[in-house]
Amino acid sequence: MENLYLPQLAVIDQIVDETPDTKTFTLHFLDERYNKAFSYKPGQFVEVSVFGKGEAPFGLCSNPLRKGNFRITVRATGTVTNALHEAKVGDVFGVRGPLGNSFPFEEVMGHDILIVAGGIGLPPLRSLIEPIFDKRNKFGEFTILYGARTPTDRVYKDALEEWAARDDVRLLQTVDRADETWTGPVGVVTTLFEKIKVDPKRTFAFTCGPPIMIRFVIQDLLAMGFADDHIISTLERYMKCGVGKCGHCAIGHKYICVDGPVFSWRQIKVLPER
Amino acid sequence: MKVGQKYTIDKQAFLAVLDSLRKGAKLIGPTPGPDGDVVFREVASVAEFTFDYVNEFDPVKRFLIPHRQDLFRFTLGKRPTFEPLVDSSPQVLCGIRSCDVKGILHWDKFFSGTYLDNYYLEKRANTTIISVACNKPLDTCFCICCDGGPWLEAGFDLQLTDFGDRYLIHVGSKKGIAILEKIKKGLVAATQEDLQRRKELMAKCDSQMVPTAYVAKAIIQITNNRVREELWEEMGFECFSCGGCTHVCPVCTCYDVADYMESPTCGVRLRCWDSCQYSGFTREASGHNPREKTKERIKRRFYHKLSYAYVKLDGHQGCVGCGRCITVCEAIGLLDLPAVVKRLRREGQPEPEQLGAQRHSS
Ligand SMILES: Cc1cc2nc3c(=O)[nH]c(=O)nc-3n(C[C@H](O)[C@H](O)[C@H](O)COP(=O)(O)OP(=O)(O)OC[C@H]3O[C@@H](n4cnc5c(N)ncnc54)[C@H](O)[C@@H]3O)c2cc1C
Ligand code: SF4
Ligand code: SF4
Ligand code: FES
Repeated sequence: MENLYLPQLAVIDQIVDETPDTKTFTLHFLDERYNKAFSYKPGQFVEVSVFGKGEAPFGLCSNPLRKGNFRITVRATGTVTNALHEAKVGDVFGVRGPLGNSFPFEEVMGHDILIVAGGIGLPPLRSLIEPIFDKRNKFGEFTILYGARTPTDRVYKDALEEWAARDDVRLLQTVDRADETWTGPVGVVTTLFEKIKVDPKRTFAFTCGPPIMIRFVIQDLLAMGFADDHIISTLERYMKCGVGKCGHCAIGHKYICVDGPVFSWRQIKVLPER
Repeated sequence: MKVGQKYTIDKQAFLAVLDSLRKGAKLIGPTPGPDGDVVFREVASVAEFTFDYVNEFDPVKRFLIPHRQDLFRFTLGKRPTFEPLVDSSPQVLCGIRSCDVKGILHWDKFFSGTYLDNYYLEKRANTTIISVACNKPLDTCFCICCDGGPWLEAGFDLQLTDFGDRYLIHVGSKKGIAILEKIKKGLVAATQEDLQRRKELMAKCDSQMVPTAYVAKAIIQITNNRVREELWEEMGFECFSCGGCTHVCPVCTCYDVADYMESPTCGVRLRCWDSCQYSGFTREASGHNPREKTKERIKRRFYHKLSYAYVKLDGHQGCVGCGRCITVCEAIGLLDLPAVVKRLRREGQPEPEQLGAQRHSS
């Protein structure tokens, strides 16, 4: 029987500073065969082990269509994440995954796509954004809205610049508090809705960010006329096992680690609030 | 010999066979505890067993889901190494009661599915269950309300019914057959009289059951969200958040995972019992805690035990009627499962006038 809890060793190839408290790590598995076979879908996550400190879940933020390595973006908040932030290129960690369900990708081909991301919610959505670019002709209108606390708090500044320059996507950004470098809009991400035109009938909306933001985004999407199953979001809970056994991530009768983290509003709205 | 068949045998002869099982396995069963209670533990001989008991205060959970289970040992370094610590040593659980067997059947399903929990399943595959049907309930037992006992039709390897000087043995599995095949003489097919006697013992035990838990109504109440927030709040004030109810429960299995360093370079990843009744259970690294309030956690516990969503998922409600939460809870008589079922049933019951008004308006 396969051992559910044993991680695979993975080595850090690259570390990028995103914001003062956030870094992106590119990793690959030491076992070459395992690395070759490793595949995942947009929205899935991995459990990363820092031996002696513990294990923590992180959304995969790399492009699932590109093999060979994978990326996670980590904000330093506690034991495991601080230890990861001290890591150097070449350091080895344990990784279990991919875990959880995924964003619908093939299923939403032929539709317009609206992405609404807040702060550290952009990383999991990036695993969906990049494959959409790879298969751009399979999708209709493509809009990305991104909100962050301040301009420095935005992750993936290079990629944002690149997306902004493309003519096959509409990227709008906003910050809660501007600084001298910022010439764009100021305000919460939902203020960007009035600047765009979407046809709710033809569009799938994907949103990820702090729970309070998600709540307001969904409210507005519903008001715009989006159907319950055209609104796709992620739920986050404290997780331990990642495989539906430890009980920590349960909401109602759903285990976020295996039934989620991706849910449509149709599924979320019937769950008990807590 | 076939599964489902019943035999009788002299008690001493059967105990001798049990004793012989010690050769290849840990023999675990009821022994006298320090305070006149009964404690299940590994014995060096069947002579250490006591049979004068109804049930153990703790469920047999710890023999399949240890309080602390080491998952793997790791050594830090440029390239960390680790070795799994799966314990699959054979064990025979003797004398456990029907409700606890039901609990084990619940875990069998829960730890299977898409993700197979190899730590549990390997231990389980090497566990033999010799259960004892109950001739007499405790005054906290209510298994008849939960389909948890007092006897079972399946799920055990062997099920014993105490006939005084003899046991009636119900064969439940191939493992059970293998044990009975070791018996050279004295095993006789149960007669009509034996079966009649078993039936009478069962009926008597049923009739002596005191607490009631009409779970069906409670399930409807919880499923349809018909419970006032004020009632959960009330319960939240009564609860000490000690987690005792979940620890003694033969259905509850939630665990925590942590790393423990044994030396500067060597450590283990372990899992240990946790409880949804602790405030830290859902606290996230950011400090955000979706079930910070006691009432939210109590609500969670009974949603898991009694909502139709879970009944459908697990095939049954999350209670086998062992009554342990009645014994353990410090909020005496208020938050144990039968007490809560009673409180939920009374929720939202329309007063007669109201009922009339509804009829009238519809
Ligand atoms: C599906 C999902 C995806 C996520 N994706 C991302 C992402 O892409 N990027 C990101 O930055 N974050 C992400 N997060 C959040 C991230 O998982 C948390 O920030 C992370 O778990 C914090 O872990 P920590 O160890 O740093 O924090 P802490 O809470 O300090 O540490 C928890 C760890 O410390 C140990 N510990 C803590 N308290 C105790 C105790 N009382 N006793 C024993 N041990 C204890 C435990 O072993 C535990 O593993 C995601 C979360 C989920 C659920
Ligand atoms: S809820 Fe109480 S009575 Fe029911 S199985 Fe658990 S401990 Fe026993
Ligand atoms: S219900 Fe009773 S046993 Fe359970 S946590 Fe509350 S006080 Fe403790
Ligand atoms: S994280 Fe353990 S059940 Fe979901």
